[in-house]
Amino acid sequence: MKLIIDAMSGDNAPEALVSGCVMAAKEFGQEYVLVGKEDIIRDLLKKEKADGLPITVRNATEVVDMHDDPARVLRRKKDSSMAVAFRMLADGEGDAMVSAGNTGAQLSGATLIVKRIRGIRRAALPTLLPTKTGKVLLIDSGANVECTPEYLLQFAFMGSFYMQKVVGVEKPRVGLINNGTEDSKGDPLRKETYALLKKAGDEGRIHFVGNVEGNDIMLGACDVAVTDGFTGNVVLKTIEGAAKFLGSGIKKVFLTNVRTKLGYLFVKPQLKGFMALMDSSEIGGAPFLGVSKPVFKAHGSSNARAIRSAIMQAIRYVEGDVVKTIEENIDQMTISY
Amino acid sequence: MLVFEKVCSILAEQFGVDADTLTRETAFVEDLGADSLDVVELMMSIEEEFDIGEISEEEAATIKTIGDLVARIGDDD
Repeated sequence: MKLIIDAMSGDNAPEALVSGCVMAAKEFGQEYVLVGKEDIIRDLLKKEKADGLPITVRNATEVVDMHDDPARVLRRKKDSSMAVAFRMLADGEGDAMVSAGNTGAQLSGATLIVKRIRGIRRAALPTLLPTKTGKVLLIDSGANVECTPEYLLQFAFMGSFYMQKVVGVEKPRVGLINNGTEDSKGDPLRKETYALLKKAGDEGRIHFVGNVEGNDIMLGACDVAVTDGFTGNVVLKTIEGAAKFLGSGIKKVFLTNVRTKLGYLFVKPQLKGFMALMDSSEIGGAPFLGVSKPVFKAHGSSNARAIRSAIMQAIRYVEGDVVKTIEENIDQMTISY
Repeated sequence: MLVFEKVCSILAEQFGVDADTLTRETAFVEDLGADSLDVVELMMSIEEEFDIGEISEEEAATIKTIGDLVARIGDDD
């Protein structure tokens, strides 16, 4: 397997990308192409003592930044590391692409250069989150602010396939994020989507468990939480904020006095393990589901460890062959089925 | 196939609508709910299909309906 890495992407580029790629090459094997300013990348590889590792470099002179217009930047900056990496993937010069860059630009590149799977209306960006009982895939978590019921129906299917093939959940429970669990709840988008998901569930195409409220997402109410990108992004950021609030609150409790500090020493390893569940450097990244080849997005603030984790996730995604599963099932993912 | 028909079939495929419902007056944003990414995607598909070179951003901003697009490509009816 060959992975194409957009080395100039994210807040810590190119150092974190090069270093994370070296970590991945040592740990997981596979081949890698780092795309970006060649002289800088080669200097970093020297510093990392990467001689002998299966890593090559492809020069690209421009960089996509966070201020570029996402829909047009890849046409304006044709020699940017992201545009070159996308074209390499589209041309079959690698099996997957990983970038920590501008999310909108990645969605554009995935759509315009790599192209969506035929029949898929919109690529979605999911996020895998820990729950009380396992993991939940929040889909969409921000790529598509405005959605139609058909987009959400397709997100439900794509999320199910991801949980089956990559996470290993045999029969993923699909829930629709809503403001109540009753069938009649929600705005027109939720109501129409509910009807589509219910029909797909009744016909045995997915395992739909109904509406899910925000407070039940992390308690394990479903394995795939379906929503539009606007709501999904608010849910995700709220969860991240709540986790940070809890983390700082717990720290404050342990720092109260000598006795609590002593108590902390006893629970430190377990506590660190628990907090790591919400650590983006361990979670890594997420694929743009619905794109015809694997495009993987790492967090913009990724450090080297997070890039290594994103690469690991990308390898699992390629091995799970989710793209093929979506292609094979596209007929039953439409409103008119 | 006439340019208009070909454009309609590309739009039908991209937006998941019935080609028979499209007219020269159909507007991408107002009638088909296109966003900025849809518009760029459409322009790229048209450039590729009709081999007409790159439609600039300035030009694309003035192409709002199927009729505008057919005129840009060069009508054949």
